[in-house]
Order: sequence, then structure tokens, then C-alpha cells
Amino acid sequence: MSKKQNKIHDFVAEGFEQGWKHLDSSQLTSEKTLETDVVVIGSGAGGGNAAEILAKEGLSVIVIEEGPLHTAKDFHMKEDEAYSELYQESAARQTKDRGIKIFQGRMVGGGTGINWTASFRTPPTTLNYWTKEMDVKGFSVDEMQPWFEWAEKRYKIQEWTDSPNANNSTLEKGCEKLGISWGKISRNVSGCLNLGYCGTGCPVNAKQSTLVTSIPGALKAGAMLISKARAETFDLRKGNIVQLKCRAMNARGNSPSDQLIKIKARHYVLASGAIGSPAILLRSESKSLNPHGLVGTRTFLHPVNISGAIMPFPVNGEYGAPQTSYSDHYVDTRIDNKKPGFKLECPPLQPMLVATTLDGHGKTHAEIMKQRPFLQVLIALQRDGFHPESTGGKVYLKSDGTPGLDYPVSNYVWKGIRDAFLAMAEIQFAAGAKAVAPVHRDAGIYSSPREVKHAIAGLPMEILKARLFSAHVMGGCPMGEDPVKSVVNSNGRHHEVENLSVFDGSIFPTSIGANPMETIFASTAKFAGDLAREMIN
Amino acid sequence: MLTRRNLFKQSAFSAITMLALESCYSSPEIPPAPDGLGHDFEFLTLADRGILSKLAPVILAEGLPTSEEQKALVIKEIIVGWDIAVNGLPLLTQAEIRKLFSVLDSNFILSLTPRLLTGVPAAWDDSKEIDEFLNNWRFSDPKSLITGNELRVGYMGMVEITMACWYANPRSWDFCGYTGPPVL
Repeated sequence: MSKKQNKIHDFVAEGFEQGWKHLDSSQLTSEKTLETDVVVIGSGAGGGNAAEILAKEGLSVIVIEEGPLHTAKDFHMKEDEAYSELYQESAARQTKDRGIKIFQGRMVGGGTGINWTASFRTPPTTLNYWTKEMDVKGFSVDEMQPWFEWAEKRYKIQEWTDSPNANNSTLEKGCEKLGISWGKISRNVSGCLNLGYCGTGCPVNAKQSTLVTSIPGALKAGAMLISKARAETFDLRKGNIVQLKCRAMNARGNSPSDQLIKIKARHYVLASGAIGSPAILLRSESKSLNPHGLVGTRTFLHPVNISGAIMPFPVNGEYGAPQTSYSDHYVDTRIDNKKPGFKLECPPLQPMLVATTLDGHGKTHAEIMKQRPFLQVLIALQRDGFHPESTGGKVYLKSDGTPGLDYPVSNYVWKGIRDAFLAMAEIQFAAGAKAVAPVHRDAGIYSSPREVKHAIAGLPMEILKARLFSAHVMGGCPMGEDPVKSVVNSNGRHHEVENLSVFDGSIFPTSIGANPMETIFASTAKFAGDLAREMIN
Repeated sequence: MLTRRNLFKQSAFSAITMLALESCYSSPEIPPAPDGLGHDFEFLTLADRGILSKLAPVILAEGLPTSEEQKALVIKEIIVGWDIAVNGLPLLTQAEIRKLFSVLDSNFILSLTPRLLTGVPAAWDDSKEIDEFLNNWRFSDPKSLITGNELRVGYMGMVEITMACWYANPRSWDFCGYTGPPVL
């Protein structure tokens, strides 16, 4: 693979060259002990955002990131390179029973570095549910409004007005034909060239990930970034954290080395995402951190199933902004939760992603790959966590201390998945598809709506048969006012341990029901401002 | 975990029957490893590489170049890609893949259990038989009382890594109508 640099002005790389404080801990040769006001563990939507707010208030901040520091010049729009370097477990993280594949960022910038830029305010129905059912305060639609506005300004979240690529316009067209609602997705981009490679790291610094916004903001305000370091455990004394122990990762980044980094801080901010944050708390084995055994529970994934269609025209879904149109028809019409709701969106269609997502091998697989330019793909995201049967998964520790997620798919969610296969096929046929293939081990390729409907009714909704994915991890450290039923309060502060906060998607008491980035930006901004004021006074 | 021990422990045959049977069956030969294009292999053994050289053409089928010379070259590249990909995975995942290969590589298994449990082909030269074995694993019951989900998961792992190694390779892009990343 060539490592040729692209010609775009990479101001982030320049900042590091000119002296922003950065330590690549895979290069460490001796143990290191550091002191700071706040240590932020994670550099994604939660950690990056919090770090900037805290540093700009004059606090000394250290940001710990397990993944590598790569900037625009290192992003070559190559799938193999990106998935192995920028994603958790080379983009092959799976739930315990291997039934759901989880795409999660692991780089400076976290998920914001590789996500598809879809930005939604938290749906009002979700905020209302948290307020009424989950004992959360300060998250009403009115109270959150200024924080969404703040996040939209900081991360340049705007309506996307360019024409959609054919993958997305097919979703729009199908919805129109069926008379169901659809909308345009706002995106956090500035100067986007409509390349379609958000998922492999933006090569032109257009995507307003934390890598190009708040991380540089924090570093300019004097913060220090430590990359390739895995936060392992907190040490506690008298109910407070006295030290964070990290281990440097090896140069390859797939396992820790022997090199320890100890950080003593006045306050500790966990922002490692819904699998990583609970893992650090569980590894620390302290009753104070997990007094009621709730850490790691109620972890949600928006389980995703997929429908492929062969269109009579070239779609070329690898090019153009990947995710610009959506339909909430099956969220809005099922908001009473009697039937499971799901959101419909589109993914990018680069060949490696397509080839590894389809089930099967040999002639049939090759035939679909040959028709890949004509392939249109819809994904359905199940809105998990809003029904007594939909309680999500549980984070646990594997034999080497790394986290796993046990996520049994409930019968309730399976019903939503079957309905989603049908809904996606109907939209694809309405938009003119020649054939539709539900991504399921036992499904074929069907050339009429009648055939596909009949087939979907008979498909077993079982793990490892229906192919499931997730790009959104949420929950695991749920917030709420009742210390017996939640891990942190409605301000992201741990109920028992005073100098610990959790500022990331793990605090969500349910899934969001939409792509979670903007909710993480908004809630973290709200929390971090309060924390900074408290620490300064 | 799919190991020989588990397979035998849970199978209907006693170890003694197995040993007796083994002596009656001839073990199929592990195919020779193609040359490694100068790559310094860290994970894949010679036997793994030999087996992959037979699996990849069946998994990728018409997706591979038609010219025998080109096909031989890209299979070598796919095997190198496999080694690089596995080396980047967490060590626990690497250990699982090692166990998968230990089932594929093992003459003992090959000679005894083709049609009984794992369906691993009795001969690596017969692509029809390899395809049958892949389909047996693909459509195996993920809730099998004997092998659990291991055959299905093993299938998905083998196929996905092979697909990833090929369709990330620019030589595959003509076939799948991809003109590659835009030039900036």
C-alpha cells in the first residue's frame, strides 16, 4: 500500500509538528507518572468535546486514547488500511454469541473519526421517555434545545443540501412512491467534497470530527494527548479515585506492552464509549464504583439488519456522501412501542464492506459482487431499550481483561427485524428494484414484492442466520436520579465516587433511536461546563 | 470452543473406536504452501497456507481472475493479506483462529469425521468437495448440541477474512466495477 500524502492542507498534522503536546505511548521505554487537574479517558464525541471545554476554562487536561493518532494526510480511502487501524478489533468486534458485528472507532477522534456524519438531535420521544420513565432531570426538550444549538454551531452541523447519491435517492424515491415520510440528514461537515469515504477517515478535514475540532481546541489551550494507551484501572482510597493506571499499547496496537503510565488527577472523566467505559469500572473491582452491580447493564446497539437490491441503473454507492436521507416512518408510527420501531438509512458501498457483509461464498456471492455497481442497500436500526422485553446487553470482561458484550436479541426486537426486512424490500421494489435480497443466511434473491414477502414471512429470525450489525454503542453506565437504579446522576457524575464523571454514550438509559453523536456532543457540553465551574470555584 | 477434544468428548464414538477407525483410513495430504512473495509469515503455518490456497478459489469462485497465472498470483497475495490481517487482531481472536486451523489442518480429524461432524473435506484437491464442506459449515445449526455455533462461526470467519483480503486488493476492482478511491 502506498503511503503517499495527499495534497490537502493538514492543519492538525501541522499543529503537532509545531508543538501541541502529544505522547505516542507505544514509544515509551520507561514507566511514566503524570499529574493533572482532569484526565479524560477517550477522545471521541464525549472525551474530545469535554477536553476542549475543560481546557478552555483553564484546567490542565490530559486526554488518553487507546487508538493511534492519524490525521488527514494518513487517510488514503483504503478499506483494509482503515478498518485495521482505525476501528476496534479491526472492525471485527462481535457480541458474545457472534450474532452482531460492532463497528466502533478507535483512533484520536474516536467514533467521530470514522462515522458517516449523520447528526440528529435526540428525538423528543426519547427525551420524554427518560424524563418520565427513567428518572432523568434536565433533559426535557426545552432544557436540551440550547445544547443542541451549541453542538450544531461547534461542530458545523447543517442541513445537507447537495444532491444525494443514488443509494440515498432510491430510499427517498421508494418512500415517496409508498407515501411514507422521509427526511434529509444534517451532517457535521465543512467544505465536504462529497467523496463518500467518511468511514475510512476524512482525507480533506471536511468532517468536523473531534480530531479536527475540539481535540485541536484542547491542545491549543494547553492540554496533552496520550495516544496508544489503554486505560486499565482506577485505584481508590477512602471512596475517591487517587490514580488511573494505563498501559502503553504495542506498536501494532493490538495488545498492551509492559509499560505503565500512572495519572493522578483531581477529577477523572470516563469517555471510552458504552463498551470501554463500563470495562474500566469493572476491571477496577471496587464496590464504590459499582455498588449495585449496574455497571455494564442496559447496553444498547440499535441492532441493524440489511436489505440489498439490484437496481436497473448504476448506483455506485461507494461515491458521494454516504448517509444523507432517512425515514422515520416506522419510528413515528410505532412510538407507543406496541410494535418495535426502527429507523431506515443507507450505508456506503465500498467493495470490501459489501463483500464481507453478504452471507455466503462461491458463485452466488461472486455474481452479486459483479453487479455491485447496481447494488442499492438499506439498513434498519432497531430502537432498543423502550420496552420491558428490550433490556439490551451486558458488558463483561474476557480472560485477558478486555471487554465483551453479551447481547441476546429479544423476541420483541426480532419482530422489529422481520418487519424491517419487509419494509426495506417494499421501499426498494417501489423505487424500481429488479430484485431484492434480504441479508440473511437462508434468504435468496427475489424478483417480485410477492415473492420477497412470502420468503421473509418464513425466514427464521435467529442469531447467526439473520446477519446483524451495530455502529452505535449506548448505555452501560445509565444515568438517573435514583442511585440504586443508575450509575451516574443526570449531570454525568458518579453517584458514589465524587471525583468521577462519565461523559459519553454510556450514560444513555435507552438507545437514542437516532445516530447518537449529536446527543453525546450536547449532553457532554452541558456536563463539562458544570464540572469546570465547580472545579474552578 | 471447537477443539478435537470437545468434538470427540461429545461425539457418539469412544476414543478407542476413533483410534481403531483412524488406522483404517488414509489421511489426506495437506496441500503444499504456495510461495509467500517474500512476506515474513508470523501467524500462518505452512499447512495453513496450503489449505488457504485450496479454500480461497472456492470461496471467491468467479470473482478471481480467469488467467491461471493471475489467479495463482492473487491467491498468494490473499494468503499474505490473511497473515497481515490476523496479526492485527486481538490475541484472543488470534487464538480462536488458530483453533479453527487446528481443526482444518488435523489429519486425525480429516480422516475420521468428514461426513460425521465437521465435514472437513477428505481431499483438498476436489473443489466440489471443498464447496460441500463450506456449505455444511455455512448451514450448520448455530445451536448444535455437539458443536455449538462453532462451525457456523468458523465458516463466517474464514469467508470474511478471505473476502476482505481479495476485495481490498485493487486487482479485484475491475471485477466488481469499482474504479478505486477518488484522486485528490
